[in-house]
Amino acid sequence: MSAVETRSSSRSGLGALVERFPFLPALVILVALLALNGWFQPNSLGFRAITGLISTYLALMMLAVAQTYVVYAGDVDLSVGAILSLVNCVIIVLMERWGGGGVAVLGAIAIGILTGLACGLLNGIVVAVLRLQAIVATFATSIFFTGLALYVLPVAGTPAPTVYWRTYGGRFFEIPFVFYVVVALAIILAIAVRARLTTQMLAVGDDPFKAFQSGLPVTAIRLKGYVLCGVFSALAALCITGDTASGDPLVGGAMTLYSVAAVVLGGTALSGGRGSVVGSVLGALIIGLINSLVFYVGTPSQWQNLVQGLAILLALMLGVLVTRRVRP
Amino acid sequence: MANLTIRGARKAYGATVALSRGDFDLKEGEVHVLIGSNGSGKSTLCKIVSGSVRPDAGEVLIDGKPVSIDGPRAARALGIATFYQELSLAAHRTVAENIGLPELPGKGGIFVDRARLNAIAERHISRFADVAGEGFSADTRVEHLREDQRQLVEIMKALATEAPILIFDEPTSSLDRAQVERFFEILRELKAEGRAIVFISHRMDEIFSVGDRVTVIRDGETVGTSQISETNPANIIRQMVGETELAVTEGAPPATVEAKAEAVLSVAGLSGKGFAGVSFEVRRGEILGFGGLHGQGQSAVLRSIFGVSPAAAGSIRINREERAIRSPREAIRCGLAYVSGDRGRDGVVHGRPILENVTPIHFLRNRLSLVRPGSLRERAAKPLSALKTRFAGYEQPVNALSGGNQQKIVIARWLIDRPDVLLLDDPTKGIDLQAKADLFALIRSLAAEGMGIVLYSSEDAELLANADRILVFNSGSVSRELTGADRTRYNLYHAAYEAA
Amino acid sequence: MSVETAGRAEASRLAAASLIRQPLLVALILIVLLLALGEMLSPGFASPQQILRLLIVAALLGIVAAGQNLVILGGREGIDLSVGGIVSLSAIIAGNVMNGSDGGILPAILACVAAGALFGTFNGVGVTLLRIPPLVMTLGMLGVLQGLLVVIRQGVPSGRAAPALSEFVTRPFLLGLPGIIWLWVLIGLLMAFLLRRTVFGYRVYAIGSNEQAALLAGVPVRLIRVSLFTLSGAFAGLAGLCLIGYAGTSFANVGELYMLPSIIAVVLGGTPLSGGKGGYTGTMAGAVLLVILQSILTTINIEESGRQVIFGLTLLVLMLFYGRGRAMRA
Repeated sequence: MSAVETRSSSRSGLGALVERFPFLPALVILVALLALNGWFQPNSLGFRAITGLISTYLALMMLAVAQTYVVYAGDVDLSVGAILSLVNCVIIVLMERWGGGGVAVLGAIAIGILTGLACGLLNGIVVAVLRLQAIVATFATSIFFTGLALYVLPVAGTPAPTVYWRTYGGRFFEIPFVFYVVVALAIILAIAVRARLTTQMLAVGDDPFKAFQSGLPVTAIRLKGYVLCGVFSALAALCITGDTASGDPLVGGAMTLYSVAAVVLGGTALSGGRGSVVGSVLGALIIGLINSLVFYVGTPSQWQNLVQGLAILLALMLGVLVTRRVRP
Repeated sequence: MANLTIRGARKAYGATVALSRGDFDLKEGEVHVLIGSNGSGKSTLCKIVSGSVRPDAGEVLIDGKPVSIDGPRAARALGIATFYQELSLAAHRTVAENIGLPELPGKGGIFVDRARLNAIAERHISRFADVAGEGFSADTRVEHLREDQRQLVEIMKALATEAPILIFDEPTSSLDRAQVERFFEILRELKAEGRAIVFISHRMDEIFSVGDRVTVIRDGETVGTSQISETNPANIIRQMVGETELAVTEGAPPATVEAKAEAVLSVAGLSGKGFAGVSFEVRRGEILGFGGLHGQGQSAVLRSIFGVSPAAAGSIRINREERAIRSPREAIRCGLAYVSGDRGRDGVVHGRPILENVTPIHFLRNRLSLVRPGSLRERAAKPLSALKTRFAGYEQPVNALSGGNQQKIVIARWLIDRPDVLLLDDPTKGIDLQAKADLFALIRSLAAEGMGIVLYSSEDAELLANADRILVFNSGSVSRELTGADRTRYNLYHAAYEAA
Repeated sequence: MSVETAGRAEASRLAAASLIRQPLLVALILIVLLLALGEMLSPGFASPQQILRLLIVAALLGIVAAGQNLVILGGREGIDLSVGGIVSLSAIIAGNVMNGSDGGILPAILACVAAGALFGTFNGVGVTLLRIPPLVMTLGMLGVLQGLLVVIRQGVPSGRAAPALSEFVTRPFLLGLPGIIWLWVLIGLLMAFLLRRTVFGYRVYAIGSNEQAALLAGVPVRLIRVSLFTLSGAFAGLAGLCLIGYAGTSFANVGELYMLPSIIAVVLGGTPLSGGKGGYTGTMAGAVLLVILQSILTTINIEESGRQVIFGLTLLVLMLFYGRGRAMRA
C-alpha cells in the first residue's frame, strides 16, 4: 500500500561516493589549489615549501580536528583559540621554570595536555550539563581562558627552549619532524573513526532527542566531545609553540574562526550528524594554500587579505553548494 | 521475563492534559493491544514506560516491585525496549548502526565491533529480507530508505535489544501486508518465548489477528481491558468513541448539493510526488471528502494545490480561471485556504500571542503594513466566536490553550477574510470531541454560505457524517467516487482496501 | 515512582522561574545592583557623569545589537558575525568622508548606512538563496571585510570625525543628555514599533518561531530574512559612524570589540539564539548591563588577567539565569 512514495534511489555514483567520503569536494579543491600554486610558483610544490606549509598550518589542522569533534554532535566551540593560547603560555612558562631540559619539556607537555583537557571539561559542563547555548557559553569561557593565559604570561615574548623548537623544525633520518606528527595524527584519526564514541557523537548530532530516546547517554557523549576538543586544542598549542618558538597569551585569538571555516570547508555539516575529521584537516590546508597562492600570484601586499577573504568565502559557499548538489 | 503494571499515570503539558489516568497491566507471554483515537494518550502512556516522558503522578511496577524510570537508559536497564511512532533513527547513519545504536557492540574498550554489529544487523535484516524491498541493506543510510523500510529498521532496533518487555507504538502504519505478516510471525515467536509485548495499531484486523488482550483508552483515561477472544470490533469502537461521538458521527448523511451550482475549484490531471492523474471539481456549497487509507496521496494533492510543492503536471481552475500556483502566497491571493492537521508543524506560531496567530492571512489579503490591534481584535472576534474558541485574551500565548482551541485559532485566521475554497487536511487530528463538533458545525454553515470545501479525514466516521461526496484514494489516484446513498462505511472500506 | 512529594519544591521553582521569565526585570535589577557595587568599590562610579559615559558606550553597543537582535529573532540559526567588520569599515568610511568637516556628516551617514546595508544584503542573499548557514556566511564575510579594511587603510589617513558629530556623541544635547542617547532611545522606540505595530514585525516573529507555518500562511519568508540581514548591516554601519564620533578617529579593527558582545547583549536581554521570541527593550538593558560590568572590572584595581577571568565567569553565571536549553525529558 505504500507504493506511492517515490524512491530516492536515483543517487548518482558521485553522490554515493561523497556520502561515503564527505571530504571529497575538499580534496578536489585542495588538489586544484596545489596545481595553481605549482603553476604560479613551481618551487611551491617542492619538499621545502611543503614542509614549511605543514609546519605553519599543523596547528590549524589540529584545531580544526578539535572543532570537528564538537561539531559532530551539533555543538560548536568558540574557545578553541583561547585554549590554544592558554596551553601555549602554560608550557612556555613551565619549560622556562623547570630549566628547559628534555624532562622539563616532556613534563610541560603533559601538563599542557591536561590543561586543555580541563578546559574542554569546563566547556562540556557548561554546554552539555548546564545546557547553555554553545555559541555564547563558549565565548564566555574563551574570555575566562584568555584571562588565565594573561595571568600565566602577562606579555608575549618568552622564548621556547632551544630543544623544543629545534625538534619541531628539525629532521630525523632526513625526514622533517612535522611529517612524523602528520603520520601520528593520521593514525590517531584512523583509530578515532572506528571508535564507538564517534558513531555515538554523530548519532547525537543527527537528532539529540532521538538519540536520547534510543537510550544513548547524550549529555555524557557531548561532554566527551568537548573534552576531546580541549585535548586536540592543546595538541594544536604544542604545534604553534614549535612554530613560533615563543609564548603569546593572544596567539590563538584569530584561529578560532579559522577552525570553524576549516571544518565547513572539509564538508562537515555545522548542524551535526555528518562529516569527517579528514575533511577538516584538508580544510585547514585549503586555507593555508589559499594564503600562499594569493602570495604567489603576486597580489599587492595590501590586497592580499581581501583576496584571501574573498577566496575563502567563495570556497565556503562552493563547498556547501557542491555537497548539497551531489547529495540533496 | 517480566510483568509490567502502571497505576494512575498522569501527564499534562501546560493546560493540555495528555493523560489523566493511565492504568495498564502487561503479562509475560502476551500481546497486549492498546487502542484509542488520535490524541487519546496512548503514546504518552508508552513514553512514560520508555522513560522519555516524566509523569506528573502515578507509579510503574515490574513484577510487583515499584521501579523508577528516570530516562530511556533506565528503561533499557529494566528490560524495556520501545518502537517510537515517530521513529528514533539517526538519518545519516547506516541501517546496521541504527539497529545496534542502543548498545553498540564494543571491542577493546573503545572500538565499534563492526563484525559483531553487522552480524546482529544481518540476523534481523535476514528475517525481513524478502519483504523489505529493494535498496535495503546493512550499509544503506537510513536517509535513503522509504518510510516503510524505516519502520522496519525501527522494529529491528527494538528487537535487537532482546528486551523482555517490548512496546510497539504504531509499528505497522506504513508497512504493506507482507511486511505486517512477517512482523506478526515474529511477534508470535517472541510471545512464545515469554516476552511481554504492547502493540498499538488503528487497524482492527491486525488487532484481532495478533492480540491477546485489549485495553481501550479514551480522552486520557483507560476505559477497560478485555480478552480479544471475548470482544468484537463493534464493542471496541463503542468503548473508544464513547456515547457523544456516536451522536456526532451517526447523524443523518448530509444532503447532496444541487448539481447546477457552479464549480469553484476544478482540478484536472494533477500529477506530482505521491499522486498521479487526479481530477475533480468542487462546487459552491459543497463539502467534497477525500477518503482512503492514510498516506495514499490525499495530503499531497491538497498541499500541491496550495502551492507547497507545486505539481509536475495538470491544471487548476479557481472560479473557472486557470491559475498557476507556485507558492502558498499565490494560493492565498487566489482565494484558497489550507488547514493542516499537523498544527504543531504547519499551523501554530509557537510561544506567540493569539493575536499574532490569528492575523497573518488578513495582513496578506489586505496588503497591510501596519498593525492596529484594536481593529484586528474586532475582526478576529467573529470567526473565533463562531468556532466557540475559549481563550483568556488576545495577548495570551497560543501554547497555553488546549489542542482543540489551538486548532480553532489556526482555522480562524483563514476566516477573517472569506476564502473561496477551504482545503482541510485531516484538520481534527488529536483534538477533543467538542472541538470537532464545533468545527464541523462551522464548516457546514460556511458551505451553506457558498464556500467550496475539500475535507480529507483519516477518520471514516467524520467523512461519512460530513462529506457530500467522497473520493476514495488508493496509491496516489482516485479509485472510486461515492455519492448519495453509496456513502456507506462498507463501500468506503471496500474501495480503500481494494488494491492494498 | 511517585512524584507527588516534589509538588511543593516544584511550586517554588515555578515561582522563581516566572520571575526569571522577565529578563528585562532581571537585567534592570542587576543593573541597579551593579551600580551599587561599583559605587561601593570606587566612590563616584555611580555619579551622573559616569553613568552618562556608560550610557554612551552602551548606546554604541546597543545600536549594533539592534541589528543582531533582528537577525536572531528571525530564527533558522540566525546570527551575524560580520557586524564587527562592518563597524570597522564604516568607521573608516565615515572618517574619510567627513575628514573633520561638518559638511561631510550627511554624506557620511548615507555612505555608512548604505555600505552596511549592502554587505548585510550579501549575507542575506547567501543565507536565503544559496542556503549557506548564517554562521558560515557571515564568518566568511567577516574575512572579506577585514581584507577590505587593509586595502582602504593603505596610504590613506583614516580620517577624522566632524566636530559636530563628536559633539553630538559626547556633549549634552537635550535635557543634559548627549544626542547619541536620544538617538538610541529613538531607535528603541522605532524597534518597538517595528516589532509590535507593523506586519513586518509580526512576520519576523512568525518565521523565527515556525518557518513552515509562516510559509503556509503566506509570509514571504526569504524576503523577510534578507531584509533582516540588510537591517543588521545598516545598524552596524550607523554604529561605526557614531563610534568615530566617540573616538575622534578610527583605528584598526575597532569593530571587532562589538561582534560577540552584540550577541551576548541580545542573549542577556532575553532573546534566545533559537529565535522567535524576545525583543529589543531587553537587549537595550542587556547592553547597559554588559557595559557596566566591564566598567566595574576596569575600576577595580586588579590585573587585566583577573578582570577577564571574572568577566568570563560572570557571563556564565548570568547566562544560567537566561538561556538554558530544554531538558531532554519533558
